[in-house]
Amino acid sequence: MRELVQATAAIVIVCALLFFTVDRMQSAGSAGSKDTLTVYNWGEYIDPELIDKFEDETGIKVTYETFDSNEAMLTKVQQGGSAYDIAVPSEYTIESMKEDDLLIPIDHGLVPNLKNINADFMDLPFDPGNEYSIPYFWGTVGVVYNPNLIEDHLTFETWEDLWDPSLKRKVFLVDGSREVVGMGLNSIGESLNVKDEDLLREATDHLIELSPNIKAIIGDEITPLMINNEASVALTFSGQAADMMWENEELEFAVPQEGSNLWFDNMVIPKTSQNIEGAHKFINFMLDPENAAQNADYVGYSTPNEAAWELMDEEVINDERFYPSHDQRETLEVYENLGLEWLGKYNEYFLEFKMSLR
Amino acid sequence: MKKLSAMSKVYLLFVFAILYAPIFYLIFYSFNSGGNMNNFESFTLEHYAAVFEDSRLIIILLNTVLVALLSGLIATIIGTLGAIGIVSLKDKKMRNTLLSLNNVLIVSPDVVIGASFLILFTMIGVKLGFASVLVSHVAFSVPIVVLMVLPKLFEMNTSLIDAARDLGATKRDVLTRVILPYISPGIFAGFFMALTYSLDDFAVTFFVTGNGFSTLSVEIYSMARAGISLTINAISGLVFAVTVLIVIGYYFINKRSKSVATGGQR
Repeated sequence: MRELVQATAAIVIVCALLFFTVDRMQSAGSAGSKDTLTVYNWGEYIDPELIDKFEDETGIKVTYETFDSNEAMLTKVQQGGSAYDIAVPSEYTIESMKEDDLLIPIDHGLVPNLKNINADFMDLPFDPGNEYSIPYFWGTVGVVYNPNLIEDHLTFETWEDLWDPSLKRKVFLVDGSREVVGMGLNSIGESLNVKDEDLLREATDHLIELSPNIKAIIGDEITPLMINNEASVALTFSGQAADMMWENEELEFAVPQEGSNLWFDNMVIPKTSQNIEGAHKFINFMLDPENAAQNADYVGYSTPNEAAWELMDEEVINDERFYPSHDQRETLEVYENLGLEWLGKYNEYFLEFKMSLR
Repeated sequence: MKKLSAMSKVYLLFVFAILYAPIFYLIFYSFNSGGNMNNFESFTLEHYAAVFEDSRLIIILLNTVLVALLSGLIATIIGTLGAIGIVSLKDKKMRNTLLSLNNVLIVSPDVVIGASFLILFTMIGVKLGFASVLVSHVAFSVPIVVLMVLPKLFEMNTSLIDAARDLGATKRDVLTRVILPYISPGIFAGFFMALTYSLDDFAVTFFVTGNGFSTLSVEIYSMARAGISLTINAISGLVFAVTVLIVIGYYFINKRSKSVATGGQR
């Protein structure tokens, strides 16, 4: 019995100490102001120094939380147990959040730095007039490859290179129906937002011809495989490709000319917000050219902030793989919300393609 | 116990090597100055420094340990009393029903438990954060504690209690001087099980975190989108070290209570 009492006492004391330490650390960060802002963002998607800078400039204390998928974020926002003031979903999620009435319109008058955003990234179909969302980072879908492991003539300027017989069992695809079926549609010269059974059929048949070349359809595991030269070709997002290329300098990235996907992660203010004014301040702060440049430098994704480009390393900005020229951006398309029925069809065709793999 | 043959020793060594290799591989690279896990350049402590500089990460780490200890303690108290209650039931049918209900909770998927807690907390208007995480961790730990304590209770000879009663022990004396000391190994085992469950739980915790409160498993999971950095290796190294310390502590407590028990018999 004595042991039990002693052990209990010891645990309680340790807990009290921990509680005290955490409390001290948390209050040390705040400037004594009750004004707080809760930001819900992807993991490793902001330079932590910027949070400190924002706190110093405005006196608002930032509570920063992270999520790992749009769906996970959506669940938490829908349940409303937490007061998120800022969230950073991707474009198709913004569209469905808008439909479910989960967002607060953004007052453009409170965000003067909006003028810094390149016009190409504004007023897009998923949020006309940027009523609810402000661009944070963007990127493309393309092919990352290791020239040393494949034949020379393949540069993936065109999607057709993926079908090259020399790539037998060498191609990895990212596991997403929009990405893969969209790639199939792009490869036959169609839009990746089509709502036409015949075209989807044609694209899927073309994809099935690709199956001898497929090694696997996986997710984030592609990154270590490419870095360690264990895989030679992968269809993936530009941001992920940038990560791989940072670690392995042999790798190349190409966005085929027929067209591809342009994706966005935008800042929004969820209905759960308790500090709408602070949220606007935060958005405006992140759009400041200097801050946007610093953030892009830290995170490594492409910033839509035109004024920031001038402050960034020229080599990065002129790298057409990650900052495609205006002409090439014309070929890129943003995912439109297809609606449940058509999304289901895309999933079905993707499943059919997956089952064709041997 | 019989001495192990050379073959069994080699086999045992092999199994442990496989079990521990990934952890040591991970910790080894947390000292790499190269910034990735491809090749080891030179020894550095910068990743550990990065962990300690990031006060948010430290708060999360401390929170994780705090929730684990506190939920372990509460779950152990509830679970032990629950186990004693179940065993003392006269009605066999009732007892079996309760045991089955306990087991259902152990085998039900974490995602289901997490989602139902989220719905419950939202419905009754509990703000997500420390309290909600603590409550759900206690909840999924209780059945485990019950399961760890029960065998000790079944093993106990009921005539011990009868004897104590005959010698004039009150109900309270029986509990604190006979039952609890006898089953204390089971209680400690239950506590440490609850501790480990709480430390590595992702699925339930994910649903019930909020308002700036987070635990390590949730944080690491969302960090992984931008590629695993060696900071994660460094945190994992720290957590491993803490776990080893806890296990060593457990070993000593166990040894001492064993020697006390056998000393009493002789």
